[in-house]
Amino acid sequence: MMASIARSSLLRQVALVPKLPIATRLASQQSAIVNAARVATFHTTARRDLLPPLPQRVEGTVNDAAPVPETSPSHGSYHWTFDRLVAASLIPLTVAPFAAGSLNPTLDALLCATILIHSHTGFQNIIIDYVPKYRTPRARKLFVWGLNAATVVVGLALYEFETTDVGVTETIKRIWTA
Amino acid sequence: MAALRSSASVLLGAAASRPALRAAAAAPAAVRGMAQLADGAQHSTTASGEQPKLKTFQVYRWNPDTPTEKPRMQSYTLDLNKTGPMVLDALIRIKNELDPTLTFRRSCREGICGSCAMNINGTNTLACLCRIPTESSADIKIYPLPHTYVVKDLVPDLTHFYKQYKSIKPYLQRDTPSPDGKEYRQSKADRKKLDGLYECILCACCSTSCPSYWWNSEEYLGPAILLQSYRWLADSRDEKTAERRDALNNSMSLYRCHTILNCTRTCPKGLNPGLAIAQIKKEMAF
Repeated sequence: MMASIARSSLLRQVALVPKLPIATRLASQQSAIVNAARVATFHTTARRDLLPPLPQRVEGTVNDAAPVPETSPSHGSYHWTFDRLVAASLIPLTVAPFAAGSLNPTLDALLCATILIHSHTGFQNIIIDYVPKYRTPRARKLFVWGLNAATVVVGLALYEFETTDVGVTETIKRIWTA
Repeated sequence: MAALRSSASVLLGAAASRPALRAAAAAPAAVRGMAQLADGAQHSTTASGEQPKLKTFQVYRWNPDTPTEKPRMQSYTLDLNKTGPMVLDALIRIKNELDPTLTFRRSCREGICGSCAMNINGTNTLACLCRIPTESSADIKIYPLPHTYVVKDLVPDLTHFYKQYKSIKPYLQRDTPSPDGKEYRQSKADRKKLDGLYECILCACCSTSCPSYWWNSEEYLGPAILLQSYRWLADSRDEKTAERRDALNNSMSLYRCHTILNCTRTCPKGLNPGLAIAQIKKEMAF
């Protein structure tokens, strides 16, 4: 707000300088420009209308209840429970290969898949939190599909890594002892 | 509740030892306002040679009549010897004696109505339950509840908060009449489940301290409303528990809670909205 006022005032101040004898006018014009420029450089934020606030209005009347969203357990309770189960199962899966001392490719693949799902739902939560649908519907779509694409790419990469290379657990082991 | 009671007794003790109040009590004929002292009391404090305990309050000011003017902090200095112990006493005294244009909500001045919820020194609390810290000489900063639209000065717009409260149907829903046609009875154990829930006064301190509610207040219900939701879910007399759960079963209403627990930390009534939300999640898990 402050920055935008300062910026637009650069020209306005110059225009507002009263009609004075030419010498005084020039001097005052110059000082106005210098002062305004000083303020403008102090405020580094450019004046852009990035995501301007929505109109502050009440939906319906003040006595109407806020709308209740549709029931959808796959985005609600099932999703949440699944999240917790995946997160909890990561603990034994992470510890198992190191505790057992042996490398089981099936276990390794399971660990990879669980981490992938865990990070997918984690990022999903971040997107739902910070790219709200009612506010930025197109950005929301972009982010959701970007995340889906990233998860598929990472999934394919992990599949390649597991099938043609040494696998995740062995890699960590080697880096650890390197 | 126990914590509240103990703090109240501390308060009473402090108030009794306060020379100004003692003087006022000794002269019952003197009529005095809530935050001012009778003249006699003032004389007695000055006569005893007591040093004035000055405290500066920085208060957020914004006037809707001049909407282009930026919000600003205005400082008021009060002598704590002549002021009640709570921040609300100080605010009332500022409004009475220094600046009648200062705007804030207050009603019961004893933590029951929830009107005077505001952000004092960075914590959402009720001004009437918040003691003026006397141990340090630092200024007290008073802001309206964070991340709310401000109506004026310390008055936030809670319209959407109340609309959300209405959306959870905060009343008993029941189809079957009671067997004897009298009131709906409840076992002592069932009644006990409502303790810690029914005390909520909807002051919005917890909701406005929740980062998740800051970002998504349009759709996320927030800790206060979810605590109330659980109050009706936990009620043994209510028969619409399944419907109530279904109303919360989507990605926004309930599951934007990420157990940050600012709500529990800030609650001026010592309640635990975080626990109530966790209970709802637990009940709804599969």
